Amino acid sequence: MQVEAFYTFIGISVIVVGVFVWVALSTRHEHEPRSRSVNRLRAWFLGVLTGGLVFAFVMMFPRMPYPRRWQKPDRIVYAVGMQFSWALSDHPIRNPDEWQEATYAPPLKIPAGSLVEFRVTSFDVNHGFGVYSPSGHLLGQVQAMPGYVNNLLMRFTEQGTYWVFCLEMCGMGHHRMRGEFEVVPRTEKFARYLDLRQGP
Amino acid sequence: MKDSDPHSPQQEAGRPPEKDSLVPAGLGQNAVGVQKFQRITFLWMVIAGLLFLAFSLDGYFLRMYQSRFFPTTRPEWFYAVLTLHGMGMVGLWFVAGMAAVSYLLANYIRPPLWASWLALGATLIGFVLLIVATTKGLFGTGWYFLYPLPLYSQGTWPPWATGCFFAALVAFCGAWLIWSVAMIAAILKRYPLRYALGWHYLSSPAGAHGPEVPPIVLITIVALIPGVAGFLDAFALFLLYLMQWQVKGFVANALLMKNLTFFFGHMTVHATMYLGVAVVYELLPTFNGRSWKMSKRIVLAWNAVLAMVLFAYFHHLYMDFVQPRMLQIMGQMMSYFSAVPAAVVSIFDGLWVVYGSRMRWTIASIFMFLGLMGWAVGGVGAVIDSTISINSVFHNTLWVPAHFHTYYLMGVVIMLLGFASHLGLEASGLKESRLVRRLVVTLFVIGGYGFVLMFFWSGAHSIPRRYAIYPHELAWGTHDARVSVVFIGIFILGLLVYLWETGRCYLRIFRAQLRKSHMGLFPW
Repeated sequence: MQVEAFYTFIGISVIVVGVFVWVALSTRHEHEPRSRSVNRLRAWFLGVLTGGLVFAFVMMFPRMPYPRRWQKPDRIVYAVGMQFSWALSDHPIRNPDEWQEATYAPPLKIPAGSLVEFRVTSFDVNHGFGVYSPSGHLLGQVQAMPGYVNNLLMRFTEQGTYWVFCLEMCGMGHHRMRGEFEVVPRTEKFARYLDLRQGP
Repeated sequence: MKDSDPHSPQQEAGRPPEKDSLVPAGLGQNAVGVQKFQRITFLWMVIAGLLFLAFSLDGYFLRMYQSRFFPTTRPEWFYAVLTLHGMGMVGLWFVAGMAAVSYLLANYIRPPLWASWLALGATLIGFVLLIVATTKGLFGTGWYFLYPLPLYSQGTWPPWATGCFFAALVAFCGAWLIWSVAMIAAILKRYPLRYALGWHYLSSPAGAHGPEVPPIVLITIVALIPGVAGFLDAFALFLLYLMQWQVKGFVANALLMKNLTFFFGHMTVHATMYLGVAVVYELLPTFNGRSWKMSKRIVLAWNAVLAMVLFAYFHHLYMDFVQPRMLQIMGQMMSYFSAVPAAVVSIFDGLWVVYGSRMRWTIASIFMFLGLMGWAVGGVGAVIDSTISINSVFHNTLWVPAHFHTYYLMGVVIMLLGFASHLGLEASGLKESRLVRRLVVTLFVIGGYGFVLMFFWSGAHSIPRRYAIYPHELAWGTHDARVSVVFIGIFILGLLVYLWETGRCYLRIFRAQLRKSHMGLFPW
């Protein structure tokens, strides 16, 4: 999605810059634009811009990252941020001691194809829970806020080591705050379970 | 494009000389007041130019640090300088915008001179406190000091640095609140609210049932109402911080604090943006003698902006999933549709004003024109980022500084640098060098757009913002930063040439005023 957004931005920006260059060059020869044609152009621009925005809004609306009630996760992972590490666990992390224990635990292993619900919070300041693919691309994120639990649902298909980086500035060690988990090949049993969930 | 020669189109067309177009029309009635305004505006512009250079060098340091040019310098320095750069730039351009608009509004109203002096004093004190908190105390929370980070230093900065930073914020917000309220009061004294907001233009074709209102009045009101709301909000935020700091057992609600923080930041930045646009509405037509007068369209557009800007700030909290869903959706709707009045009215009108005209191209007019372009291009990046589904992969990546540097640095900042250049040239009577003009514009465009493009590129490749050092998994962030360093160097070179060119005008003005003050004509 990032690359598409980047090239959309570049495409529209080139048009914008082109219009500004054209208008700047038009000042080499003085001529008064007719107000009727300017108004027609403005009406056309208004229509195109509004239509484009409404279209984008409608198209992107279903892709909102917020969890839906009907989505049932295959796995729940508890994630807690504290300066300057992420702790991920299959069990609720209730205090800093459990957090510390979880930071030293081996990375969680998640079967490929699982829908995972991350229950994300913080024990100190705001952090950003950013999930990166093995190739280093941001797949999704949610804020980790003290006193609140944010739920993020993600499905992982690609196998490998996934990284969790902090995406909200949280102090001098912000850039080294990380966590990780592994997406492993799914077992036959898990594949059957997924097939059953998806139905015929 | 033509040069600014003595045979300018305006003079050929028998229009008044350029100097008169800048000096407020009410000079006859308000000559002493206008002269006083000139003095403080000169002062504001000189301060803005020098601080802009200092804070730009801070920014240069940040990208160099990310390029690993200072491997032995501790990351605490990166975060402290980041805080200074962000807060410094946001504050600086708000006051520069206010100073420019105050000066131009003297055409129509009596802006509060005392408030401008008060703001000058308090802003300078605030900057000193900010510099001490960040460089001496290494206070490093980023410019929006997200709760409760200022209270969790992990030993990086001492408690006095937190106090110093908040004292700076209190000085800023207190003075700017008073300045904004005094300015609104001065406008309302001449134009009651319904006129200032141009509502009488909606009921009659050309505002026949009320006074003629220049767009700068309307836009200033639209900028300052959210600005005042933002500063009041900031005081609520400071109070809650103070309570948590001093009252044992009191813990503020993190989500509330986040809403308060982003409301304050969003309103301050947007107020600054609109002040820059107000300057363009007022000054751009003076370069070709065309008019950019109030119309029903402008009234509708800016009233819509006023309504929408207050709710668009929710887009900063998309990734807080516990925020009510309706507010998130409202944030996207308001962010999307606030682009319509900006593009269809202000930017379109700006292009129309220039199109096919005998434009007198100077650094000032080129910067204002390019400022509109930066606003438009940055706006495209902002609208993309304000889409909730895209924000989930762009939020807090370098896409964010990419779009705001585009509409801030290449938008409002160069609009106001254009104003400063115009003011200096007109008041000093000096002529602008054609070579210098071309050099400045070329360096600004190549350096500025190269710099922001690297941010966009890195953001699209998932590089997080505000990282002192990129982890090896995201090593391409370091390479992008190195390319960026080249472009920033070009931009800063352009800035130095601009400051040299504009500085000689201001030097001449100050020398002249000094001479007059020795003769007892200009007591400061």
